[in-house]
Amino acid sequence: MSDNAKEIKPTDWHSPEMNARIKRRYRKEKWFKGLGFTAVILAAMFLVTLIGRIAGDGLYGFVQTSIELDIPFEESILGNPREMSKADFEENVRRANMLRIIDASLQGHFPDVKSRRDRRELLRMVSTGARAQIRDMVLANPSLVGTTERVRLLASDDVDQLRKGRIDASEPEANRKVKDKELGWYQKLKEEGRVSLNFHTTFLTSGDSRDPELAGIWGATVGSALTLLVTLAIAFPIGVLTAIYLEEFAPKNRLTDLIEVNINNLAAVPSIVFGLLGLAVFLGVMHLPRSAPLVGGLTLALMTLPTIIIASRASIKAVPPSIRDAARGLGASPMQVVFHHVVPLAMPGILTGTIIGMAQALGETAPLLMIGMVAFIVDIPGGVTDAATALPVQIFLWADSPERAFVEKTSAAILVLLTFLIAMNGLAIWLRQKFEQHW
Amino acid sequence: MTSSAIFLFLVMLALGSFVFARQKALAGAGGDPAKLHSLPRHYGYFAATCVLLPGLFAFGIWVIFGNSIIEGLILSGVPDRVFEQNGDQATLVLNRIRLAVENPNSPETDPDILAAAAKFQAIYLKGIWAAFVLSISLGLVGLYVAVNRTKPDFRARNKFERVVLITLGMSSVIAIATTLGIVASLLFESLRFFQEVSIAEFVFGLHWSPQTALRADQVASAGAFGAVPLFAGTLLISFIAMLVAGPIGLLAAIYLTQYASQRMRKIAKPMLEVLAGVPTVVYGFFAALTVAPLFRDMGITLGLDIASESALAAGIVMGIMIIPFVSSLSDDAITAVPKSLKDGSLALGATPSETIKQVVLPAALPGIVGAFLLAISRAVGETMIVVMAAGMQPNLTANPFEAVTTVTVQIVALLTGDQEFDSAKTLSAFALGLALFVSTMVLNVIALKIVRKYREVYD
Amino acid sequence: MKKFAAAAALITAATFSTTSAEAQSRDQIRIVGSSTVFPFATAVAEEFGRSTNFKTPIVESTGSGGGLKLFCSGIGTNHPDITNASRRIKASEVELCAKNGVTDIVEVKIGYDGIVLAASKNAAPMEVSLRDLYLALAAQVPAEGTEGGAGNMVPNPYKNWHEVNPALPNKPIVVLGPPPTSGTRDAFNELGIEGGCKTFAGMKALKSADKKLYKALCRGIREDGAYIEAGENDNLIVQKLQTNDDAVGIFGFSFLDQNGDVIQAFPVAKKVGEASQEPTFEAIADGSYPISRSLYFYVKKAHVDVVPGIREYLAEFTSDKAAGDFGYLADRGLIPLPDEDRAKFEQAASDLTNLELD
Repeated sequence: MSDNAKEIKPTDWHSPEMNARIKRRYRKEKWFKGLGFTAVILAAMFLVTLIGRIAGDGLYGFVQTSIELDIPFEESILGNPREMSKADFEENVRRANMLRIIDASLQGHFPDVKSRRDRRELLRMVSTGARAQIRDMVLANPSLVGTTERVRLLASDDVDQLRKGRIDASEPEANRKVKDKELGWYQKLKEEGRVSLNFHTTFLTSGDSRDPELAGIWGATVGSALTLLVTLAIAFPIGVLTAIYLEEFAPKNRLTDLIEVNINNLAAVPSIVFGLLGLAVFLGVMHLPRSAPLVGGLTLALMTLPTIIIASRASIKAVPPSIRDAARGLGASPMQVVFHHVVPLAMPGILTGTIIGMAQALGETAPLLMIGMVAFIVDIPGGVTDAATALPVQIFLWADSPERAFVEKTSAAILVLLTFLIAMNGLAIWLRQKFEQHW
Repeated sequence: MTSSAIFLFLVMLALGSFVFARQKALAGAGGDPAKLHSLPRHYGYFAATCVLLPGLFAFGIWVIFGNSIIEGLILSGVPDRVFEQNGDQATLVLNRIRLAVENPNSPETDPDILAAAAKFQAIYLKGIWAAFVLSISLGLVGLYVAVNRTKPDFRARNKFERVVLITLGMSSVIAIATTLGIVASLLFESLRFFQEVSIAEFVFGLHWSPQTALRADQVASAGAFGAVPLFAGTLLISFIAMLVAGPIGLLAAIYLTQYASQRMRKIAKPMLEVLAGVPTVVYGFFAALTVAPLFRDMGITLGLDIASESALAAGIVMGIMIIPFVSSLSDDAITAVPKSLKDGSLALGATPSETIKQVVLPAALPGIVGAFLLAISRAVGETMIVVMAAGMQPNLTANPFEAVTTVTVQIVALLTGDQEFDSAKTLSAFALGLALFVSTMVLNVIALKIVRKYREVYD
Repeated sequence: MKKFAAAAALITAATFSTTSAEAQSRDQIRIVGSSTVFPFATAVAEEFGRSTNFKTPIVESTGSGGGLKLFCSGIGTNHPDITNASRRIKASEVELCAKNGVTDIVEVKIGYDGIVLAASKNAAPMEVSLRDLYLALAAQVPAEGTEGGAGNMVPNPYKNWHEVNPALPNKPIVVLGPPPTSGTRDAFNELGIEGGCKTFAGMKALKSADKKLYKALCRGIREDGAYIEAGENDNLIVQKLQTNDDAVGIFGFSFLDQNGDVIQAFPVAKKVGEASQEPTFEAIADGSYPISRSLYFYVKKAHVDVVPGIREYLAEFTSDKAAGDFGYLADRGLIPLPDEDRAKFEQAASDLTNLELD
């Protein structure tokens, strides 16, 4: 090497070796840049596949197949509203076996189906919710009794899957859930124009159900809202006050150091550990009610607290010292400086952090599994101590259900959840852009 | 009259005393604020605090204990006969009374219950009025004290700010309390677990089969608590996740900070944020429904034996989940490298990629390592993806095509279902939780240390 | 800032006003228990909520063992009212209940469920006897060539169905089944494994000599990985079968009924040489299918009339329109009781007859 060093010659940049070297370097450059670009595109592709796949299934979840049947509202089954009192009539209608009405109607459409077994199979093409549908119609309008009306009834999940093309009619019968006989009935109804696909409001307005065509997300949405309310009521004030204290007032000693390290660590603790805490403390020690949004909210509040504290501290730190100095110079007390000047200026950042924390809490499932929020709950919860599920838990429950029609319900519920999350994140971004101050 | 009404009354009283004290202070100074020690509203704040603190204290006592007091009073009036009817369970008797109270048409026929229900309303009213009178009168005492002290030379602002400062300090203690709560609850249950199973077996045991017999006459399983297969499974899945997230996240961060146009950044950054915001249960659903069957079918065409809940599927989806995490943290580390270093290298004729590889990345390395460590700790603690897409079999294997189970899966499996706090099976979930807590915390502390050290070099 | 403070105060007030001293009564039935009964119980609960003015009961799926444990932990509004079980309550559990004050229990049998052995439609069909099952799945089996008994047991050496019985196909033993907390597992151990165990003369002799050892040997399932505990969720097993053609699943008949298009059931013979029996509706109801069991639920008598709606729920569950031959539960795969039995339990449910173990 030392020999070479002695006889240094100026590099000939135009020599063929050098040209090749530069070419090689440029090629490497291109490759590297391409690699980076590929990484970004890959990430984008993952997102598109994820959303696309779920949206592809989920959009079916918002529509539902109905079958239109000529329903004879027979007096012999429903009772005569003109001859009995209103209360008696309603009681009678509640008790009445609506299946017989539907059966009679189906007999009209399929006079050649005679055996009891076949008739039951025929009845199974209509959702179990159809009974309640007819009952409510009669209760709302007693004058229907004695007439025959064309009524649009919900179809069962199998017919629904067939209509949506998710059960392949061309497969051999043995491998298909819907048998040839039922397929024939379905075809006949379809040719008569009685099968239709409509927007399904039940999905947005009702609670859970064992029947996919009757299941809805309103119960879970209310449960999520109640849970978030508790979370917000606890995490927001405590988080902001802690951030103010640590950033503006805390003396620099070992205790505050400990708190700081501690908060950073809490932010990285897996969410399921918070669930264990909730199980042991809120359920085990404090005996709060199981499956209640109150417990879920408390657990999630502890989980979101570090997020809010860290965001608020960053936002408070970003307020320039000159503002504090100016306020101090005009005679404001430290407390006045903070509450009149620093906090209002930091508020957009604090709110952004809070919303992001809330969005995290809304999507969180694991801690809720630990505190009994995974249950079959039909009724819409009315308060924070009622039993409830939350949206992500409902997704988890449906993802486990045997009926295959639940796949699209699950995806549809995911779409609703994602809509909420994107709305919340959008709000946070809007707040940040609208109120962000550059000093 | 309800509890919230008491609360509202207190708030209104506080508002009233604010106005009153403010006026009184002003009047005491002859209408000239300059003669007061503090601003007039500080006297108001002080008075409001004096009203609220004792008032809310009494209210809090009512909220926490009021119920049990009323219940005790009601139950003491119910004859023993009714208790015997309900297996000596006070909650059952109470429920009957409550139902009778809430629903006047309830089918309840027992005269004693009905009598108690009739009494309930009266006692409840007495109780709530007592709570009302107590909290309001405590508030009024506070008001009296405050008004007495409202003189022009009273240091109202300092007093009030003292209260605020204490409130601030107390809320910051809650974060500590949470950690203590976690540690205490995990430790308490874990210690009970380690009384039954030795620590050595838990930490070094190679066999995990927690199904201890639930009843004495059930001999189906023996029960073994060696956690090594769980940690091995967790590590395997996290490793696969990092194989995906590490390169993609880092390269994306490099591209977005060094090459991408402003417009591209504007599109790509929110996209990564959306990817980060997707709930994990959605990733789990995606993994179980789409990715796992895809790999299985691929395995069949390639002649490979890939389990339907292979570590590979769960790991790759988890990798996708932590891409944004890696990329945003690496992004921060890369942008923090002083521009002068980069410019110097470019000026010497290095191509951008050479600059990045030989100057920027080494300078940002501690930050990137920290980012990777934080991402690993995220992957280790992730629950829903593995619960939905990974297996339940505690396999000790490094084969990504086989099914493995993880610590978090086992916690969920052990605790959803039978929630009694005494069998070794349930307690072992807390021991696993403790192990998880400790390991993520250690990872986190190391990561933060590395990041902090790196900051000292350039700032 | 003041606006935010006011908003925060309002939210706090709104949240806590609902939780404060005005505690509510429990007017909702709480049900726990078997995952096998879960689909039936939820269907009844939903129908019950729809057709009456009571609130819809909350149903959690915890497994028969876990459910009975929660159920027996005491009476009072913070304990469940009803537990579902896919096996009969045991004497030890009745004792546990009694110790905690749960003395009056009403037992309702709702129907039958067959435990089926099934695999993906793509798998090669096979016919097994209970003896094959025992040899394939027990923790300890009689050494080759012996008839079992205390001294002749070896840890299960078989890795392949072919080794168990040359008539079976040559594929590895991979069985997905429920964990010990589940009633399905209990019933499978008792009817399937023990049923096969009994066919060895040595084991039969052991039964009279040392009952405890006999139970341990005849009901212990191997833990070397051939039997995989797949959690309480039978549905998960069904999904896993579709993805692995070698795997054989053990689960309730209702899941076979729901998924008959993707999985096939294997016929099972009671004894070697006997004709094997397909798990069909009829074969399970008349008992000719060897691994079938009864489904139950248990009600705390002390809670009846305290938590509203329990009587009506019982009436709904035992009614002809639910549990009858053509009831809606049969649609979901429940194998109904014969009419006279159902009438008996309908009567028992309305009279709240106390449980009697024989």
